[in-house]
Formats: sequence, C-alpha cells, structure tokens
Amino acid sequence: MDFAKSDIQAMLLDSAERLLSENADVEYWRHQRSNATGFDEARWTQFAELGWLALPVPEAAGGLDGTIEDIALLNIALGKALATEPYISTVVLAGHVLTQATDDVRALDLVGEMAGGTLRIALAHQENGAHPLDVEVTGTRARSSEDGYILSGAKIMALDAPSAGQLIVSARLEGEEGVGLFLVPADAPGLSIESYALIDGTRASDIVFTDVTLPPAALLIGGNRGAAVLREAIDRASIALMAQAVGAMEAANKVCGAYVQERKQFGVAIGSFQAIQHIMADSFVAAHQARSMLYHALANADQDEATRSAALSAARLVIGEAGQTVSRNGIQVHGGYGLTDEYAIGHYFRRLMCIEKQYGDLIQHGERFGDSIFG
Amino acid sequence: MDIGITVQTAGADPMELRLDPDLQTFRTEVRAFIDSVLPADMKERQRRKVANNAAVPDLLEWMRILNAHGRSVPHWPVEFGGCGWTPMQLFIFNEELYKADAPEFDWGGTHMLGPVLYTYGSDYLKDRFLPMIREGATMWAQGFSEPGSGSDLASLRTSAELVGDKYIVNGQKIWTSGAAHADWGFFLVRTDRNVKPQRGISFLIIKMDTPGVTVRQIPQINGEAHLCEVFLDNVEVPADQLIGEPGMGWTYAKFLLEHERTTSSFIYWSKRELARAKDIALGEMVGGRRVADDPAFRARFAKAEADLLALEWSVLRVLAHEEFDAPEAAAASVLKIRGSELQQEITMLQVDALGAKALRFFDVAPALPPAPTDVWADYAPGRTTVALINRAATIYGGSKQIQKNILAKLAFGL
Repeated sequence: MDFAKSDIQAMLLDSAERLLSENADVEYWRHQRSNATGFDEARWTQFAELGWLALPVPEAAGGLDGTIEDIALLNIALGKALATEPYISTVVLAGHVLTQATDDVRALDLVGEMAGGTLRIALAHQENGAHPLDVEVTGTRARSSEDGYILSGAKIMALDAPSAGQLIVSARLEGEEGVGLFLVPADAPGLSIESYALIDGTRASDIVFTDVTLPPAALLIGGNRGAAVLREAIDRASIALMAQAVGAMEAANKVCGAYVQERKQFGVAIGSFQAIQHIMADSFVAAHQARSMLYHALANADQDEATRSAALSAARLVIGEAGQTVSRNGIQVHGGYGLTDEYAIGHYFRRLMCIEKQYGDLIQHGERFGDSIFG
Repeated sequence: MDIGITVQTAGADPMELRLDPDLQTFRTEVRAFIDSVLPADMKERQRRKVANNAAVPDLLEWMRILNAHGRSVPHWPVEFGGCGWTPMQLFIFNEELYKADAPEFDWGGTHMLGPVLYTYGSDYLKDRFLPMIREGATMWAQGFSEPGSGSDLASLRTSAELVGDKYIVNGQKIWTSGAAHADWGFFLVRTDRNVKPQRGISFLIIKMDTPGVTVRQIPQINGEAHLCEVFLDNVEVPADQLIGEPGMGWTYAKFLLEHERTTSSFIYWSKRELARAKDIALGEMVGGRRVADDPAFRARFAKAEADLLALEWSVLRVLAHEEFDAPEAAAASVLKIRGSELQQEITMLQVDALGAKALRFFDVAPALPPAPTDVWADYAPGRTTVALINRAATIYGGSKQIQKNILAKLAFGL
C-alpha cells in the first residue's frame, strides 16, 4: 500500500493545478456560465494537448493507459477549480464504453477523436422516475429493421449533452434480452432536445427519440454486456465525481479558513470565536474523511461487482454528506455573503450539491450499501 | 525501514491502495496463533462480559501467555521485546486480537508508560520496569487528571518536593482508571512552581501501596467502579523513580500522546462492536420483522459502517505518514473525534437494536452473566453497560471540544 504519487502522477497533478488555478475564481466561473456550452472551448483543447483526454485510453488505442487513481488525481484538481468541462461524461463515462467496444474499428476512431478533443460524447440513460442505479430498466426501445435499428423513447438530464456531438443511448432490444448501448449522433433526425443549465453552470438535456433510424453499427455494446458495461462506466464516473468533490471540499475549506481570519465583527476576526472555530474543525474532519473514503473506493475499484459497488456506495454516502457539511458550514461562516453569486463559497455549495445527486444520491447509495450489509 | 506501507514523496511507483498480498499470509498466521494460545474459557468470559473493562486476572494471564511467545509488546523496539513488525502488521495483529475476543492490553503499561520509559528512562528504570510490563507482572494506573485540572491539564497542582533522595508527594488525582487494582502508577506532578505551568511538571513512578496513597473507587452510571480518585498525602517516593529530567513531564506526556496517534481511533474495537450490532439487528424481531429490515435502522447502520470505513482509511493514512497540507497532528485529532463519536454511535446502535430490552440492568460482578434464553440472547448483557460509560469517549484524552480547538489551530491557523 502506497499513498505517495509517482513522478508521473505528481507531474500530472502539478500541470493540472497550474493550468486550472489560472482560472479558479468567481469572475471566470460567472463568465463561463454565460457561454453557450458553460465552459471554455479553448481550455478543452488545452486539456487535449496535455493528454488529459487520452488519460484512461488504452495504449493500444493511442492513449496513456492511465489508472483509475490517475483519473482520480486529475479530477481532484478539476474539482478544486470547479471546472465545468464535460470531462467525466466524455472521457470517463463514454470513454469507458467506447474502449469496451474496441473490437469495433469505428469505436477506436471515435476514441481517437475524443482524445484529440474534437469529439465530445454524452450518456443518455436516465429516464423520468427510473432508479438511477438500476441500469437494467429502461423504457427506451430499439427494434430491428431492414437497415439496422429504430429507436424510440425519452431520456432526461443527459449531463453535458448540449455540447456533445454524439450520444450513447441505453435501450432495450426488442426480441432480445438485456440493454444495448447505441451511438446516436446528436443531430440525428427524430431527436427532440430540450437543453438547460444546472445550478452549477453545467448543462444537460432532456431528449425524446421518435423512430430514430440507426445503422447496425450504431449498436456499440450488445444486450449480453450492455448493463454490465454501463454499470462499470457509471461506477467510474462516480469515482471521478467523488474525486471532484474531495477537491472542491478541500478548496472550500481553504476559502473559508481565509475568510474567517479576514472578516471582522466586534472588532476582531470571527475566526477568533470558538463557535466559528468548531464549525471549521467539523468541516476539516468531514473533508478528511471524504478523502479517506475516496481511497476506499479506489482500492476496491477493480474488485468483483458486489464488492466494488458496496465500497462505492459507502464512499458516496460519506462523501455526499461531507460535501453538504463542508459547503453548508462554509455558507454559514460567510453570513449573508455566502448567499451571493459574488463569493466562491456559493459556487462550491452548488457544485457539491450537484455531485451529491448525480449517478445516485445519498439516499439511493445509502440503501444500496445497507442492502449489501444485510441482504 | 520497511513499514508495510511505502512512504515516499515521489518516485517510480504509482499510488497503490491495495493491501500487500503478503499481509494476508501474516493475517492467517496470527489468527491461527491467537486461536491456538487463547484459552477457551478466557475467550468466553471476554465475549460475554457485562463490564466495559476486562477482569484483571484474565488481563494479566493473557499478557503472560503472549509474553511466553514473545508477543506481549509487539510494538516496542526489538531490543526491549518487540516483534519488529511493520505498522500494517501491528494493525492486523491488533485487529485479530479484538476479533478473537482476547483480553485487551493493559494499555497504561504497554502503550503509555512503556514507550516513555524506553525513550526517556534511565537504564535503572528500563531494567526494572520494562520486564514487569512485558511479562504482565503488574497493572499500571495513569495519574494525570485532577479535580481542578481536566481539559486544562497543565494547571495540575499535585506537588512533588525533593527532600534528600526522595520526593514528597501531596495532592489528588481523579479518573485514574483501574487504580484500585494497580500495583504501580505513573503520575504527572509539579516539581517547580516558579516557572511556566508546562515547564514545572515531571513524570514520576509511584508504588500504589506506599504509605499515604489512598484510592477511592468512584461508582459509575453503568454499575462499574473502574475510575478512581487517588489521594496522595506526604507520599515518599525514591527520587530515581522520576523519569528523564525534572520539568520535562509535559513533553513526555505529549510524546506519549503523539506516539499513540492511532490508538484513540478505537478502530479495532469499533469494528468488532459494529459486527456485534449487526448480529443484534439480525437476531431481534419487532412486529414480525428483523430490526435489520427496518429502513430507518438500516440507513443509520449503513452510515455508521461507511463512517467506520472512512475512519479505518484515515488510520492507514496516519500509519503511512501520508503527506497532506496540514500538520500530521491534525490527522490524529480527526481520529480522536471521529473514533470517539463512532464508539458512541455503534454502542447506541446495539442498544437501539435491543429496544426496550436494553433497559434491563445486568450486574457486572459475576464472571459470566446469566445463561442465554430464548428471550435474552447472549449478546444482550453488557451492551447498555458499555454504551452508558461510552459517553466518556468524547471526554477523556482531550475532550471533543479541545480536539476541535486543536484542529482549528493546526488546520486553519485560528
């Protein structure tokens, strides 16, 4: 067991913190939010140049063959800077699905485009009222036709879909068992897309598919493996999300630690009051335990599915709650300024709330972990 | 030194969070060892005891058994009888001891006084006392707190005045665990009133049957009387029983706490007790349903187990001296805060899983509680006894509030 980073990991983290810290402030965040996509296209290109978009891609496909720990380290830095780029949806989620379909020559090409920064891909899986951790249930259907498949159904809150060129869509294959994963161009005829912003400035779409015609090659992963691959991809996304949460919490604590030393009331810094000190201590404990739980999830990331998902849900439970503790405490010590869009803490608060609710929320992960304990 | 967890600032090897496979072999070996040497009747008494603390005869006998195999003080340096194990091996050995319901160490001797003695003690004191601790010959009491000096320990007033080759000790200690059964004690005493409070404190070993030492057991809310008051009235103590230098007692006491940075997490104890809480939740029925199937209980249990996993990883991070952007002592305070909160939450899960049945009083005096029946399973006696006294977990060893003060200072400079 070794918590220390290798030279290469240290370099990765160093380059990430250097690039991202240039633009980790309220002005930048507010500016990006007013963009069409919610992030800076030029910086996405820099991500590609630095190799970040090729990080988890296997060497055989021209990637860096990075481990899940590498992905976590980079995402800690992304979280610290509240980066709104679609890294998790494109690189972690879609990237994983595509590399699982590498017998398909076209999937390799797509991975290359993704790594080069020219193609972004979003997952369209969640449906209204469906349990986010139950990947086998989907109301979207794909029926075979002479020319391939015809897809119909409705997805909601496809994260980062507005800036994606392609979508990965989960659908039940008519006349077959299981859930298939399809690649669907975002501009395909028959798609009706309603896009909106989330409270953290990222974007999402509700998408209705009406008799969308797809070629046979659109089926990336067949019904025999679709659910398993989707589960793996979502679990990896959860790990990256937790890493972002850890980065965000540690950064938020720094911001708050500085604020309580600078803000004066009754003629003294509010950080001299024990009531404030204990709030800050609680936040430190929460963020520290959150990082510990990220390690637990990482240590179990390549275990069998039951062990992996139990560890992951336990981690989501601790980290989700810690994120709320840290950011709510942060708002409290900022007083009224915490509620303005002009102070960083409110941005961390919104991001951490988004993370807590994506790919399963606190209650759902708590239930899944409880079931793993008692059956 | 190979400590079982690699510590380095940078290098060729990437972060590796999986356990070294050799440790599994070690675990198998120590589990078999404990199984072969722990007497069945002793194990049964430990598993079913009502009291929070192990009975003294079992505790000392277990030390003697471990010592016969060279494993009673595995964490000490090899020259004093330690095993030369890595921190991870020690972690696993301790975990297996608790899992097997072995009696606990006499922590005062093995984990508190021992390291201070072999680090700062004279050869005379080392030769005299280290073997006694290692062999389980004596029980030790720790005399730190006083009626007026709890969280503000440095204000302690028990005085030791050097007269010839003796110290004359006068004062009063309180919360001295097990003093009634201890043969020896180690005390913080004031040897100099004319300097800064922390500077005038010394670390003194006192034999408990010395004339002038009076012990009063304090009846506790859980039926035990483990905590004591110790009155010291003109107690004559040979001057060579002062450890290290006069006036350095505060430094040694701080060393002792830092040396045992992970002990306050109670991680091994809490893991075993959470497993027992699970047994209770699976065994008890309410309205035809297992307590474990009550969604509210299950959610609370899941949170406690997840929090305990986080605590375990935080312990491993401290053992590995992981680099992070706050002083290491901040991580130790996290262990103390979360460790004590979890002890309380886990014992209350046990109590709450038993529901109203948890209200039955069980006497701590008999070696074994009443035999189990269909109504009163063998996990019932003792749960409430332990839960009641566990309110102390967030008070002793630096209260939760003191720990938060420390954290605010260390982590944020407040």
